[in-house]
Amino acid sequence: MATIHLEQVGHSYGSAVYALEKTDILFEDGKTYALLGPSGCGKTTMLNVISGLLYPSDGRVIVGGKDVTRMPTAKRNIAQVFQFPVIYQSKTVYENLAFPLRCRGWDKARIAPRVAEIAELLGLTARLGQSARRLTADEKQLVSLGRGLVRNDVSALLMDEPLTVIDPHMKFDLRRRIKQASDKTRHTVVYVTHDQNEAMTFADEVLVMSAGRVVQRGTPQQLFESPCNRYVGNFIGSPGMNFLSVERDGDRLLWQGFPVFSDERVGRLAPGAELMVGIRPEHVAFAKDGVTGIPAVVQGVQHHGNVDVIDAVIGSERLKVKARSSLAVRDGPLRIVLPVERTRLYVDGTLLF
Amino acid sequence: MPLLSILKYLAILVWSGFVMAPLTWALTTSFKTANGVTSGPTYLPWIGYEPSLAGWRSLFGGAGGIDIVRPYLNSVIVTGSASLISIVLGTLAAYGLSRFSYRTGFVKNADIVFFFISQRIMPPIVLAIPFFLMLQFLDLLDTRLGLVLVYIALLLPIAVWIMVDFFDGVPRQIDEMAMLDGCTPFEAFRRVVLPNSLSGILVAAMFCLIFGWNDFFFAFTLTFTDTQLLPVAIVSLNSSVTPWWSLSASALISVAPLIVIAIVVERLLSRGTLAGAIR
Amino acid sequence: MSLVLNSVSLSRGGEIHLDDVSLRFDRGGLTTVLGRTLSGKTTLLRAIAGLQETDRGTLTRDGEPFGTLPAWKRDVAMVYQQFINYPHLSVFENVAFPLRKRKVAESEVGHRVRSVLDVVGLAAFGERKPSQLSGGQQQRVALARALVRKAGVLLLDEPLVNLDYKLREQLREEFRGLLASQADATVIYNTTEPAEAMMLGDRLVVMHEGRVLQAGVPTAVFDRPASALVARIVTDPPMTIVAGTLDGGRVLFEGGLALDAPGLLAAMPPGRYRFGIRANEIEPVDGGGIAGRVTFGEVSGSETFLHVETMLGEAVVQLEGVHRVEPGRQIGLSFAPERLFVFAAQGEGALLHAPGHGEG
Repeated sequence: MATIHLEQVGHSYGSAVYALEKTDILFEDGKTYALLGPSGCGKTTMLNVISGLLYPSDGRVIVGGKDVTRMPTAKRNIAQVFQFPVIYQSKTVYENLAFPLRCRGWDKARIAPRVAEIAELLGLTARLGQSARRLTADEKQLVSLGRGLVRNDVSALLMDEPLTVIDPHMKFDLRRRIKQASDKTRHTVVYVTHDQNEAMTFADEVLVMSAGRVVQRGTPQQLFESPCNRYVGNFIGSPGMNFLSVERDGDRLLWQGFPVFSDERVGRLAPGAELMVGIRPEHVAFAKDGVTGIPAVVQGVQHHGNVDVIDAVIGSERLKVKARSSLAVRDGPLRIVLPVERTRLYVDGTLLF
Repeated sequence: MPLLSILKYLAILVWSGFVMAPLTWALTTSFKTANGVTSGPTYLPWIGYEPSLAGWRSLFGGAGGIDIVRPYLNSVIVTGSASLISIVLGTLAAYGLSRFSYRTGFVKNADIVFFFISQRIMPPIVLAIPFFLMLQFLDLLDTRLGLVLVYIALLLPIAVWIMVDFFDGVPRQIDEMAMLDGCTPFEAFRRVVLPNSLSGILVAAMFCLIFGWNDFFFAFTLTFTDTQLLPVAIVSLNSSVTPWWSLSASALISVAPLIVIAIVVERLLSRGTLAGAIR
Repeated sequence: MSLVLNSVSLSRGGEIHLDDVSLRFDRGGLTTVLGRTLSGKTTLLRAIAGLQETDRGTLTRDGEPFGTLPAWKRDVAMVYQQFINYPHLSVFENVAFPLRKRKVAESEVGHRVRSVLDVVGLAAFGERKPSQLSGGQQQRVALARALVRKAGVLLLDEPLVNLDYKLREQLREEFRGLLASQADATVIYNTTEPAEAMMLGDRLVVMHEGRVLQAGVPTAVFDRPASALVARIVTDPPMTIVAGTLDGGRVLFEGGLALDAPGLLAAMPPGRYRFGIRANEIEPVDGGGIAGRVTFGEVSGSETFLHVETMLGEAVVQLEGVHRVEPGRQIGLSFAPERLFVFAAQGEGALLHAPGHGEG
């Protein structure tokens, strides 16, 4: 177990464009991180730099205080789970899990309890005697994970979209088992994915990446509540955040002529900047108890089951509002309120507060 | 980096030398006379040896040689038509085996494919006698038609085997979708599956042509004088004194079409339009 | 004017895929078929398309027999879960393929293909090969090819399941718009996601193990699921269902909890029942409530689902927003008894009582 420090690390695959722009990142010991972004954003490049499959063109990689920048993968004591299960088809589950220990010269008496422990952790105990070929794809992926976890000298666990080949309907169960296993072992985990739900479920901290850069780093809650720009606001949450163009009027911000925000910091903003407020559909409230609110016209309601998503039109802008279905919203006029504590201000596309 | 690329090019150079050496040797030898051949390894005409066209003349009815044109033509016709028929029949058979389930008693698709391949497990000598007797019965010994039939029997399994494997890799949903788009099963095969299988067909055709072109054994046992094929004709050049110059010239002339095929196939396969179109 | 399946059954190699399915799909509406994997949804579509022969039962379309026609004469278009296109043809030619097959005039082909490509947002990609597109774009090509024909029956087999989460959300929103040109078609859309089934369907069919469990207007099915099994299938996260008894105006749950039964429940005959509560009706409370231990927290879109071990068994709680809840955390839960569903204790648990909108 160890901290991983990327010191001014950057990488380009031979061209002037950096697949991973120079950056300084610290992964703390025992925490779980997700690298989240669309394909080509540099997340896999970063993972390969950590694992040693790729030597970075710039900077140093420090694992547990040791410079491993030019050290081959095999010597880094890093366990890795790939998109496709990597297992020995011809061996049993037990032999698969025991193999890394045999290679390290453990004797049989020590191997058996360790394998049993890991199998228990992953819920594979009943499968130990089976041939690995017979396992389902999700079980195979658990065995790949087990092969990494079984070693007691692992300093970090890297996962590269481990749910890619899993049947969509089995993903929940596998996600739960991997999460529980990694929570218990307390390794430093770096998990690469393009799926928001996976990242937000898995990680203590999420690094949202785009075009070779880390756009925002924070806990799932921070990303959800205070996305640093429109990209993150749209990417996280379902549906994404509403972004509304506002105009300044002294210390106040007006949206379609209605005051939505008031703060002395607004008055100090440089003139000419593009101003927007962001509010999540679930944070938009309905006016009640004598509050006037902003009149909105309901354009449509999507029933999602437990919640409804209302398409509302206010003046020239559209707004999504999420409401519990039991509130039974009917088509027609509606009065809404944007709670100030949930409203974020974006200046030229970047979060101000 | 530059050092690495220098080493890379050096390695490629060495390997090319390795590959080209026999061809160069054959080329120089084909222009030599008996004197030139026996006076040690020389490679540069006029400097190392006196070039002569005797070897090449001997292939076209010159002194002490043969007329290679007829056997050459025979080989082209026999190999070409046998390969073509094998590819057409083999592709159709393979598509059926890949897409439909057949069942006769315990015999299923996989068994049928195996029966095809098992034809090639037996050593040629086992097949030679039955083939001989069959052709004799049909009065087709020493004819092009007879050879074409025999070669089809030999090449068809290869075509079926390669194409079954290839069709299995083409998602079945593609045929289904074509049918939903209004194609009959055969139209789906012709308009959608076939265009996406060209690289497989090309590979199968290449194998058929190479096997057919290079066969000596059956050409030797099933023909006498009328329908000599190229490999047999070349061997017949050999007399008490081995005419290295004629042999070299004929070796070059017989390997030429294969080189052309290899280049064409390589060109077609490397065009992205054929290979890897299917995920 | 509709597609009717009458007692259709289909089994292969001893496995039952469709078990006595009778359904009616009306023209001009979208029916979503909701069910877990292997519920028979895909087989249903393949049987309608003519890609799989049925063992028993009849299919008719507008009163005419339909099940005896070969696939290429059925006027059915289909979009698969996988991104299936003709790899050797350009995007334009892929979409033009069904029109050319029908000998549509060249000028009309160009016009129709371009307008459909415009609808699916691929107008600029006509010359590309499908392999040069992203997954989402490939699926749009497949959709365009299905739309361009204006087929009488349009079948969509989990078309979005293999797409990225955000793209799925976007396409789901666009879907009704994409289908605007197919006003006359019978559209059937398979999905495993309750929210997708709810928001897209004019009608909802719930399938399980080859059988149709319930069919109706989506909100009606959601509000009054025919059985505990249907309730679990149409609710995401799954409804928490606990066995118990109703006796003398009190609900006694297995595991020991007792609650005063609200009005309507108290009026039911005493006996054993199964009680269900939806995840969004359970709330964590500070102090008191039903004691529980969090086993797993899961973020789904803008919600957090907590799986909590309680004296009643595993309960699923839905929290709005994204929250970090460490596994092992002790929390208290509460819910309003008025929001309980009551199902029969036997079999699949027929619905006996559902909470109304006005209650609670």
